[in-house]
Amino acid sequence: MSEDFNWLEEARHDEPQTPVAESGRRRLFSRLPRISLRPRRPGLPALPPLPRLFRRQRDEAPSSASQLISEREERPLEELDERLRDLRQRSLQGSEPPADQPLYNVDEVLVSPEALNPGGGLIGAVALSKAQEEQVELLRDIVDGATPGPSPGGASPGRGSPVALTTATRLVAAVFVLLLASLPFVSSDFDFFPLPPADFEARRGDARSLYNALDNLRPDDRLLLALEYGATAAGELDPLADLALRHIFAQGAQPLIVSSNPIAIARAENIIREINRSVMRANLVVEAGAHYHILRYLPGGALGLRELSENFAAVARYSSSGAETGLDIASLADLQYIVLLAESAETIRFWAEQVVPESAETPLLAITSYAAEPLAQAYAESLPQIAGLLHGYRDAFSYGEMLKSAYGMAPPIPLTPTLEPAPNTTATPLPASSTPDPTATPAPITPTLDWTPTLIHITVQPTATATPDLQRLSTAPPGERATPSREDLDDPANQPGEQAVAVATVMAQPTSAPAATIAASDTPGPTATVASIRVVEVISPQQVRIRRGPTTADDILRLAQAGDRFEVVGANGDGSWHQIALEPGLNGWIAQFLVEELVMTEAEFRSGSASLPAERAVLLREYDWSLGKTGPRYYQAQPPSPADLHEFAQLRDRHQEGPRLQAMSLGALAAALVIVLGNLVHGVGALLRRRGASAR
Amino acid sequence: MDQTTVQVFSVLFVMATVVLLYTARFFERRRRQRAQRQMAALERLPAWTSQSIESSRPLHLSLGASAVGGEDTPSALAGAEFFYHLIQSGAAGDQAPTISTSSPTSVPLAQDTARRAWEGDSLLSARWYPPGLAFAGGLSAAMAEDEAAAQILAGKLGPELALILDGADRGGSLAVSDQLEGQAVAFAMADETLIGEELYAAAGYVSDEASASRVAVVIDVWRGLLIIGLTLALLLAYAGILPWLSWQLLLAAVVAATVLGLILARRS
Amino acid sequence: MRRMPSLGSAISSLVAFAVGMTTLLSLLLGDNPELFGEQPGREILAERIAAPGDVMLRLATLMVALSIVLGVANLLHVHVLRLRRHSLTSAVLLASFAFTLYWHVAQGDATLLEAVLVPIESALAALLCLSLVHGASRVLQKRADIWGALFVLVVIIVLLGSLGLAELAPVQTMRDWLMAVPVSAGARAILLGIALGVIVAGLRALLGQDRAYRG
Repeated sequence: MSEDFNWLEEARHDEPQTPVAESGRRRLFSRLPRISLRPRRPGLPALPPLPRLFRRQRDEAPSSASQLISEREERPLEELDERLRDLRQRSLQGSEPPADQPLYNVDEVLVSPEALNPGGGLIGAVALSKAQEEQVELLRDIVDGATPGPSPGGASPGRGSPVALTTATRLVAAVFVLLLASLPFVSSDFDFFPLPPADFEARRGDARSLYNALDNLRPDDRLLLALEYGATAAGELDPLADLALRHIFAQGAQPLIVSSNPIAIARAENIIREINRSVMRANLVVEAGAHYHILRYLPGGALGLRELSENFAAVARYSSSGAETGLDIASLADLQYIVLLAESAETIRFWAEQVVPESAETPLLAITSYAAEPLAQAYAESLPQIAGLLHGYRDAFSYGEMLKSAYGMAPPIPLTPTLEPAPNTTATPLPASSTPDPTATPAPITPTLDWTPTLIHITVQPTATATPDLQRLSTAPPGERATPSREDLDDPANQPGEQAVAVATVMAQPTSAPAATIAASDTPGPTATVASIRVVEVISPQQVRIRRGPTTADDILRLAQAGDRFEVVGANGDGSWHQIALEPGLNGWIAQFLVEELVMTEAEFRSGSASLPAERAVLLREYDWSLGKTGPRYYQAQPPSPADLHEFAQLRDRHQEGPRLQAMSLGALAAALVIVLGNLVHGVGALLRRRGASAR
Repeated sequence: MDQTTVQVFSVLFVMATVVLLYTARFFERRRRQRAQRQMAALERLPAWTSQSIESSRPLHLSLGASAVGGEDTPSALAGAEFFYHLIQSGAAGDQAPTISTSSPTSVPLAQDTARRAWEGDSLLSARWYPPGLAFAGGLSAAMAEDEAAAQILAGKLGPELALILDGADRGGSLAVSDQLEGQAVAFAMADETLIGEELYAAAGYVSDEASASRVAVVIDVWRGLLIIGLTLALLLAYAGILPWLSWQLLLAAVVAATVLGLILARRS
Repeated sequence: MRRMPSLGSAISSLVAFAVGMTTLLSLLLGDNPELFGEQPGREILAERIAAPGDVMLRLATLMVALSIVLGVANLLHVHVLRLRRHSLTSAVLLASFAFTLYWHVAQGDATLLEAVLVPIESALAALLCLSLVHGASRVLQKRADIWGALFVLVVIIVLLGSLGLAELAPVQTMRDWLMAVPVSAGARAILLGIALGVIVAGLRALLGQDRAYRG
């Protein structure tokens, strides 16, 4: 036998030798400097071949070496040849080898697995060089997989093993986080955290720029909306995509939706379905092909985006379903903006550098996640193509609040008469051909609304409190098309061909409430119904809570800001709480000391709310402030039944933005606690282990 | 900087790198030893490889979403090269390693890497799963079923890495990503982590093949120069000299950098 | 002794080198007439230099688009083979594939994609959050050193800083500073390192030194 004996090499002598195993084996030890198993001391006798035990084939073998060894007892002794039986006997007899005998001098004795275990025995007794110790450690790692601690693997998931412990701690951590995060949905007593501001902070010029850019879109403007995110960021970016889409639809602009992620396309379809569902009560529908296009999926990552950049006409030719879009667009430069929703800051940089330069006239508006904020901010500051930036769920909240205050709270649009009988309802039908008759049961879906010829103005002049001071888009590149201001849009003179059409909606109210009628119209003779109503205006400088009942123990339905106005529909016994109308079929309660009571006409009340054409403003008002966009999807192919709508209304009641944001904050707090506790335990454990090791 | 300056600078930079790639080879051949740092993260690889052999459990390697034909082509190639040497060292085991990817263009690369290094029946080696969380989900299930001895993930990996690593508790794990999110997750959850450019240099550290190790040398050289350059630029900016920086000056800087690089490569 | 390269590998290396360098130079120098000073016809020259790069990239786009077929073929192949080993997950995967294919052919819509994959991915994303929390709680188990401790500290500061509590205003300030300065700088340093790696590894491939060309 060679002096330069290789243990593993010898172990395979009686195996069929394949060229693969041969070449691989040679390579193994020539390339792994630290695991050469050759004895360093020349002249030592070699170990015998490993027993067959160690050479089982995979299909019959247990999964790890430690399991393999633990099963050794099951192997009948008579299967072993005489020499091995003898060896075994000798190894059992003397667990302590002579103290002066080194590892490789174990003279034909097969080391029993017990002997390889730490804590005395053979290994503890022999004098080994450092290199040999390393080899022994390695062998221990391989053979003794069940040793506690971070071994390189092989720990079998038995009771008390690290894996079982890990599973238990994982479960406890998960339950703790979920429990804390669900508390705000159970009771409002857990609302500890302040909500994000209702407007972008002054220093957030980039966020305001984005808002203004979308707010100043003109009807028939086209823009690219790229959804470059997956499920991991969907929780944050879906609501932002929803808001941006509503904002765009509300201006009458046409988004061309594109993605290099097929799931994101499915998400976009879901979001638009949600929008349609929410505006269904206003008999509105946005339709693919007319109001938006979902373009074909872009395969190939960076190369696919290059195709988009350089050959946009070809990309825009087909929709995601393979149908021809009929779009006549030569390049990205024909678009007003590119709105990019990206999961990571790097994606924004990539778009700014690789996609946008081809159409340098088209600014990029970026929306990203909270985690990507620092880098995205730096890119937004340094890359001139980026004209606006929003990030994270806090911005989503502020964005939503801005839209709410700009376009008003949910107007009293009826669900369906079958759901909410309204005995005291009066309605003033208006002479408008395209307006559905409010006394009749509205059809579940009307044909597609044609935006352009039926632009409607409900209000003439927004009040100061309801319209934020919108600054003009400050970062638009020089030579841009003149963007019309809000006032321009509101001016009927600027909208030739527009017909004045009025909408009448019926407010369903409890019998105690004064009957109300909404009526608004535009230039050719407004036909407002004059009826005084009681209104409360929020005067508290803080955000105030609107609750389900007249006590602070009741759940929060909404939050309101100073200046928000609500119609009063009742009061509690001592007058300390007002019952107010939030939306059809949904009333809330607000504490009397937080509000000031006003009396005004219906028209005056409405004038503070909307400044957009009514049909489009509905898109914003009906934003579902709470649900992630993977909510129930009853309306896959069929129009909704009244029961569906009712159920949706119920869901809207349950999930409100306040509890959701509170839950996120509480979840973050729980996560922080878990992380601190877990690391404390592990850190102390590591210190103790180290101290123990140095003491030994 | 105008476009011309950028172009000139890019070409010079590329040429300097090419020169370095060839000259590093020269030094390698002459000195027969590598000028490399220690990478502690790679020291456990031999143990994992041995474990894979001894326990008949496959090694699992993953390129993530690195795609051939995109901006992350070099990541895919570097990952494949790293895996080639790892598989070679573990070729004595009876379980073919698996290389997973979520980019279909990387499937041939994975298959080719496994075939070259393993030389056995590697039909099951290259595996594609759809991108995103589906990749993490599919992979975790398959790896649990295969009882992978260790997971080595190198490529374009995002936060989905957490799901994969969470399921990798029974074996060792090494992860490195060219994405910041993935890198952070790797640091928190993998047993061992490489950072940033170490993904591209890793192959040079696990093999003694000159062509692999000179990439590591050149990256080290450029990195050293970059640090010096950034520090100098900072000082120049403070001194108010930076506005005069023209492409001629940059040219001089690149030439100086190349010379410095050559000296550094020889000394290291 | 060095092994002589085979003719095949020499040719493939040569082709790789030629195509790679042509594309690279075309992309680097194309579309910039100013590079040629006042020379007449410089626009045409610049366009001509840019042309080969564009052609190659379009070809690559086409190939990449087709490669999805390769991915699906691989998926089916691997899981049919694993079926022989009685793999349950493979059986489920193949059955789902067959059903989805049938559905798409029969119904012609992507309902299944939306109704199954999107919710499942959302659920996985939720699971991911818990995995991350659990992973972060074990950082010091894997890395009981100063870097591990620093990592945990930053995670805690960022988490607490995002709560917006008035009592935690100093933490919020610290969080803002951390995100704006060290995190941003560190991220850029990592990205610079990656960029260097990309350039060197990319050039190695373009020079035909990659393993794939060596036959």
